[in-house]
Amino acid sequence: MPLPDPAIWSEHVRRVLRRYDEALLRQVAVKLFKPRNQWPLDELIERNVATVSNVAVVDRRLEALDPAGRRVLALIGHSRQPRWKVGNLLEMLVALGDAVDVRPVLALLESGLLYPDLPDSIPRLKSFEQWLGLGGVNGLAVFAHPHVTARALGEDLGLPDLSRSHDAPPQEADGLEWPLRLAVVWQQVAGAPLRRTQQGEFFKRDLDRLRADPLLNGAAAEGIGEIPDAGLLAVELALVEGLVQENDGEITAAAPPVAWDRDLAATLESLWAAVPRLEAWNTCEGWRGSGAGANPYPSAYLLALLLLARLPEGGWARPEAVELWVLEHHPYWVQSRNEDRRSKMEDRGAAGSSSTRSALSDPRSSTLAFVLGLAYPLRLLQAARDRDGAWLVRLSPMGRWLLGVAEAPPAPAAYPQTLLVQPNLEIVAYRQGLTPGLISRLGQFAAWKSLGAACTLQLQPETVYRALEAGQTFETILQTLEQHGMRATPPALVESLRTWADKRERLGIYPSATLFEFTSAADMNEALARGLPAVRLSDRLAVVTNEGAVDFRNFRLTATRDYGLPLEKCVEVEADGVTLTVDLTRSDLLLETELPRFAEPVDPASANGRRQYRLTPASLAAGQSGGLGLRALEEWFAQRTGQPLSPAARLLLVGPLVPQLDLRQQLVLHVGTPEVADGLVQWPATRALIHVRLGPTALVVAEEHVDELRKRLRELGVGIQG
Amino acid sequence: MARDTSRTATGTRIPVKLHRRVCLIQTEDAVLAEELLARKKLAQDLVGRLTDRVLLVRLGRVDSVVQELQKMGHTPSVIQ
Repeated sequence: MPLPDPAIWSEHVRRVLRRYDEALLRQVAVKLFKPRNQWPLDELIERNVATVSNVAVVDRRLEALDPAGRRVLALIGHSRQPRWKVGNLLEMLVALGDAVDVRPVLALLESGLLYPDLPDSIPRLKSFEQWLGLGGVNGLAVFAHPHVTARALGEDLGLPDLSRSHDAPPQEADGLEWPLRLAVVWQQVAGAPLRRTQQGEFFKRDLDRLRADPLLNGAAAEGIGEIPDAGLLAVELALVEGLVQENDGEITAAAPPVAWDRDLAATLESLWAAVPRLEAWNTCEGWRGSGAGANPYPSAYLLALLLLARLPEGGWARPEAVELWVLEHHPYWVQSRNEDRRSKMEDRGAAGSSSTRSALSDPRSSTLAFVLGLAYPLRLLQAARDRDGAWLVRLSPMGRWLLGVAEAPPAPAAYPQTLLVQPNLEIVAYRQGLTPGLISRLGQFAAWKSLGAACTLQLQPETVYRALEAGQTFETILQTLEQHGMRATPPALVESLRTWADKRERLGIYPSATLFEFTSAADMNEALARGLPAVRLSDRLAVVTNEGAVDFRNFRLTATRDYGLPLEKCVEVEADGVTLTVDLTRSDLLLETELPRFAEPVDPASANGRRQYRLTPASLAAGQSGGLGLRALEEWFAQRTGQPLSPAARLLLVGPLVPQLDLRQQLVLHVGTPEVADGLVQWPATRALIHVRLGPTALVVAEEHVDELRKRLRELGVGIQG
Repeated sequence: MARDTSRTATGTRIPVKLHRRVCLIQTEDAVLAEELLARKKLAQDLVGRLTDRVLLVRLGRVDSVVQELQKMGHTPSVIQ
């Protein structure tokens, strides 16, 4: 019988054993494989892992266990889920007639056949009692290696035979209902991720959407029972299956599980193994959200199916009888009933309001809804009507295999041609030919419109785009349709597909790439020849999507710019006010696109290899016509040079707006020192004769005032030449 | 024999400048790039044109650029 991937669990065992304290590890090793030497810890761990896969040794260790210990391992094996809550295991032991006692679990931990699922708060485990002391057993989980639990499967669990004879023909579901619903969840989440609040609950809008969705909440095509909040169960199952994933409160689509591509049996095995891990949903309350209290349902579900596994060949059981047995033996409901009785005695006549009482009064309180509403569509059961029209159930061949009591059933007949592809882009998928792999592929490129005996899907640009984004191509999509189509694919549909695919190939977006800028085309060619995993963008630029794949030993980084950081000042303005020199060690690509808008490159580059641009009237006029005005240029200068716009640049920019200039001849008096010029400008006798001061020692004198000025200066003893 | 100074000798390290976390659009042809630049809503998120087929996208605007491209009927491939 196939097992959940043992290699994964071997690695899991290794990881947990590394966190055992040395003394504890040696103590476990002594019980498991009796080492004769003082082996190093690493070797001890490897031997431990190897021993749990050694059939002969495992059988001997199982024989040495108490029956309760063997039952624990057998229960885990039947569930195909190696990881269980300790509380659920104890509930099942009590239901099977054992005392409420954690010692069987403790004995298994000490014998190395069971391992604690250690929380991060325990970096090193000194003793199992320390771990058990962390809190109630309800929160603690353990796991067993599938090789060990497989050897425990024959253990007698002491369950009663609830069979009754019946000879009506059995009916059986196709097992595709939940893969289909999970595919719908995947598609919806791919379209719009679900979000949770900080408390872990769905936002109301998402919760309402999931509760009202007709595809997720509609009656199953082959259903014989109902379950509450089916849409939310689908999300929970998809999460456990890994079809969708949660990160920081956001649930997004993930890759389809590997089992889906294998076959239906592997998919159902995976779904069955997911059932004990349903925490936020149960058959009684429906959605109860994360962080809810005790969850006795996984143990009740497994006990219910084990009761059916106990039936003799050809025997049937009434689901109500199964439920009754669980209610009478499962400690959660026994205790609830006792509390209910006591409450009624104390408060006779008062209406009960506790959840346990409402659970008992609800006809779907425990396992009936699970058996008819969930286990049957999962193809675990066969059903038939008795003479009174009531349902009878038993395990299907698939169910017997999944519970480990029979060999795998033969693979069902395949009907590969099961799609009717129509010119209006609608696809009708007849269910008898569907497989989980095909369901997954169809859901990637077409939207689910209805689920039933014949499911319908619609090809849409968005869904095709999503499929292309996920790695499919025009050819693979067409291949799927042609391989499974009952008729030739309509040309109109092929044409639509081709158009959408071609459009996608016309545009590529690199959301966060690394650009390699080389100093010459030859350098870039050399880099590509040495295996740089890049796409060429120009003769000096190449883009890399995965920087981790670059061998940086081939490169000398002259500069690095991170575009997540603010822009840097990387331009110097030369003394002429119009030549701009780029500091290549600090410049970025934005600069390379900004400068050509209003400046001309100077060719060749300056002597020290720095790149230069020059502002010219023509380049600035081009910038202005492209929308780059005075204000924008002032901002650019402040941002990139750290200086105001140079006067020369301003002159070039505003030249056409400057009023006409006045060119004239003037007599200029040059004096020896600025102090003399100051005196001439200040003394009232000469002040009126100075027309304008040009500079510190240059004064303009009007021609008609020259004689008067000579006269006044002569009075001071100052002569004028010329 | 004259030394070819334009080519980095095999074995030596190639000088290169790295631009990290850059967002780019590469089009099939220059006409398509022109078409994108002419789209008002897109142009405000496109900060420049590196080559005739490569456009530089403003930091943090990739999602809105993809949405606008889809509105235009394009199905761009996002290359991660």
